[in-house]
Amino acid sequence: MAGELDGKAAIITGGGRGIGLACAKALAEAGARVLITGRNAEVGAAAADSLAGDVRFTQQDVASDADWSRVMAEADAAFGRVDILVANAGVSTAFPLADMPLEDFRAMQDVNLKGAFLAVKHGAQAIRKHGEGGSIILISSVMGRISAPAYAHYSASKTGVRLLAKAAALELGAEQIRVNAVLPGFVRTDMTAPFPEEQIAPMAVPMKRFADAGEVADAVLFSATDRSKFMTGAELVVDGGLITR
Amino acid sequence: MTTVAELKDKVAIITGATKGMGRSAAQLFAQSGAKVIATGRDEAAGAETEKLMKEAGGEGIFIRQDIAREADWERVVGEASSRFGGLDVVVNNAGVFMVKPIEETTVEDYDWIYQINVEGTFLGMKHGFRAIKETGRGGSIVNVSSLMGQVGYPGATAYCATKGAIAGMTKSAALEGAELDPPIRVNSLHPGVIWTEMLTSNFGDDPALKDAFAEDTPLKMIGLPEYMADAIAYLASDQSSYVTGVELTVDGGRGAD
Repeated sequence: MAGELDGKAAIITGGGRGIGLACAKALAEAGARVLITGRNAEVGAAAADSLAGDVRFTQQDVASDADWSRVMAEADAAFGRVDILVANAGVSTAFPLADMPLEDFRAMQDVNLKGAFLAVKHGAQAIRKHGEGGSIILISSVMGRISAPAYAHYSASKTGVRLLAKAAALELGAEQIRVNAVLPGFVRTDMTAPFPEEQIAPMAVPMKRFADAGEVADAVLFSATDRSKFMTGAELVVDGGLITR
Repeated sequence: MTTVAELKDKVAIITGATKGMGRSAAQLFAQSGAKVIATGRDEAAGAETEKLMKEAGGEGIFIRQDIAREADWERVVGEASSRFGGLDVVVNNAGVFMVKPIEETTVEDYDWIYQINVEGTFLGMKHGFRAIKETGRGGSIVNVSSLMGQVGYPGATAYCATKGAIAGMTKSAALEGAELDPPIRVNSLHPGVIWTEMLTSNFGDDPALKDAFAEDTPLKMIGLPEYMADAIAYLASDQSSYVTGVELTVDGGRGAD
């Protein structure tokens, strides 16, 4: 509902494109002030400009603790508070397990898992400052429940994110800081460009189509608002039935 | 509760709407502009739900229904069609609870809880599918299971069996519904400890108990029917247009423990 996030401030990592951009749009339309972060300054600045409302961009490497400290300080300076943090930034590559250099495995855990850990840590510290509680949303994946050949490193990272949300929910619940995981299936974004929808969707997806990024953003919006004030440690699967069978 | 614009003009059947979560959902749906058929067995309480829906500025009626009777379902979906021109949403919320050690649970006890929770939900899906298909707009079915459909609880063997069955049926029905064009989505909601008459009539309406449950919940609060209404509205509306076959747990974090 329009206005349901009036007065709230949100940070969305990987907000320049895809699911992150759709989340920024949904949260801004609901009245939140939004800081989107990402590696590509050009893409991020254009994304912020394209959205109505108070939407800003700052560059960030989510695997860098120092970058997180800077981003949180920037959010504090801009908005005076943080209520919502969407840890969306992530990478995906295919690599057969037995041939994968450790560096490749590690590079993925750095962005997907360490990035989510730092998001919870810095997000909780920021929300704690005003003591009114808040919502941290970690974008995991259905690949945190199932897997596929050549995706061991991706599944490992996304399963880690899924359980990180539960552990954080237990630890932060008493402060009304809710932590939930959203598990998208195939979504029409740059990340799924190697997977042709017309070939894959009819076989793999019961609903026979991929999702629009906005359909994932709706789950994030639900998790961000007081409509989910009793929900923490939960998993919101948005996959068109992919993991149902 | 927060109104959901995507529910406007949807025709929804909500069972067990004479109290608790069902009544809250009926109010929220009516307030959001849906056309609601609220059902239940207690006619006086049903009249009160009808009044609350009108006060919420919405369009809603109460119809007496025993969800375990197929003829009742035929009558209720018939009313949806004749009064509101079709059907978009079924919220299979009605259910009963029982705490009894397994050795003391009789077959009669089991049959009673099974017929209402499992067969009632099954019939709601079956007749919901028929009526939603006939209407031709696609739709959403929300089955209210429980955290006890995901984890165990001592003394609740029969109840857990029924709530687990609901989660299982939900997934099969979701796959059938996904085959349809437009699709019918089917999901289950898994509430944790919610302070309703179902709980107080079994454990006692005791403020100390309420505090104990809250203390035992990671969010340090007790669940209220309104919170479940918001989750039901999410699953029932197009806000979850790509969500089907899922278990949504709203439990203050208990299940994560």
